[in-house]
Amino acid sequence: MESDVSRRRRAIAAAGLLLLGALVASGWLEARVQESPQASLKPAAAAPEQDKPAAPRPAKERMAVYVILAWVWLSIAVLLAFLRLRVREADRVHRMGLHRAGDGPPGAPGH
Amino acid sequence: MKALGAWIEDRLGLGPVAAFLAKKEVPCHRHTILYYTGSSILLFLGIQIVTGVLLALYYQPTLAEANASVVRIMTEMPLGWLVRSVHSWSATFMIALVFAHLLGIAFTKAYRKPREATWLTGVLLLGSSLAFGFTGYLLPWDELSLAATKVGTNLPKALPVIGTWLTQVMRAGDDVTGDTITRFFIVHVSVLPLALLAILGVHIFLVQRHGMSAPLEAERDKIKLPWLPFWPNFLLREAGVWFVLLGVLLTVAVFLAPGVGPQADLMAPAPEGIKPEWYFLFMFQTLKLFPARILGLNGELIAMLVMMAGMAAVLFLPFIDDRPFERKGKVITGLAWAGLAYAIGMSIWSLM
Repeated sequence: MESDVSRRRRAIAAAGLLLLGALVASGWLEARVQESPQASLKPAAAAPEQDKPAAPRPAKERMAVYVILAWVWLSIAVLLAFLRLRVREADRVHRMGLHRAGDGPPGAPGH
Repeated sequence: MKALGAWIEDRLGLGPVAAFLAKKEVPCHRHTILYYTGSSILLFLGIQIVTGVLLALYYQPTLAEANASVVRIMTEMPLGWLVRSVHSWSATFMIALVFAHLLGIAFTKAYRKPREATWLTGVLLLGSSLAFGFTGYLLPWDELSLAATKVGTNLPKALPVIGTWLTQVMRAGDDVTGDTITRFFIVHVSVLPLALLAILGVHIFLVQRHGMSAPLEAERDKIKLPWLPFWPNFLLREAGVWFVLLGVLLTVAVFLAPGVGPQADLMAPAPEGIKPEWYFLFMFQTLKLFPARILGLNGELIAMLVMMAGMAAVLFLPFIDDRPFERKGKVITGLAWAGLAYAIGMSIWSLM
């Protein structure tokens, strides 16, 4: 039981460190983008006979989207870790046959 | 918090719904993964609605402005290209999941009594999803979308008596013009969403009414399957699937954002190598294979009739396959596998 708790703490600490690292990395990347010349914000001319540009040409927006994407995946990883813990707990309660006693959704009888 | 809950309960009376969810059970077996497809479809539908509303704020459904407004959304609106990309990819994901959901139900024969009406509404939902794809494809008003819509709206013309009229109704005239864009837009943003939400309401009610289906063998051999409570065990697992799907959708939308071609020219000939969206490819290839005349009859008409018969067979499958445990059921399963192999084979051929 104790090792379970310490494993959870370690997992949460690792997720926190990862998020912190991502924050630092994203800040550094954004700072680099802000230093780039204003000219790079202009949409690039599309080559003839090609579709109009689909990806954003302003470097700042492009970088922001990549940073957001990295954050999204990190958040998903953390949320999945928490969900896994909740699922294990819910399954344990179900196996013990306690789920009928007041573990329904909010508003359900016995909640 | 408790007082707020009581206030809401007094007004909305959601207690019975919560009580129902607390009692709901999900059977556990080797096909349990199929249960996740239904809620994932709802997730993508929600994303479609949100991104669709955002796009509709800037899109202008007129001949002069349709293409230009899409270009503006993609190049001038903040993250407009991403919103459009998420809208486009979530449509693809949703239709793929609707197919997976329906195929899963078909091969596990979950449409058997008493779930025939659930199947009927499910097939109607697939039809609405495809109609969304067809009407949405024209809206960017580029060369490809014009050519594909011309081909698609020309198909009903082969039908006797109502064919020409049907084509005119779809096109808002004899040809695909600016009026067609307006008509497709109205259908895409108001008629189809209303129809889809109404059918979806009935579908979800029926799913709750009859509960999750158990596999055929379990029902035949009267095996009591292990189960999970829907709340919270199954819902938490579903939430995990949604998060992963959201991540995949966003990643694909960022790295594979769709472009928009040059504005459609009504006078220009159709560009070479036009292809519809992937979910129409097998029909497109089938039509190409049919000769112009078969035994003196119009080949296109025969192709249309064959496809309509196939759609009717899918719609009324629960009534055709009314003895799923017997030999007839096995023959129908074999035919369903053959149909699936045909659709995949034709789609690949069309892409080559």
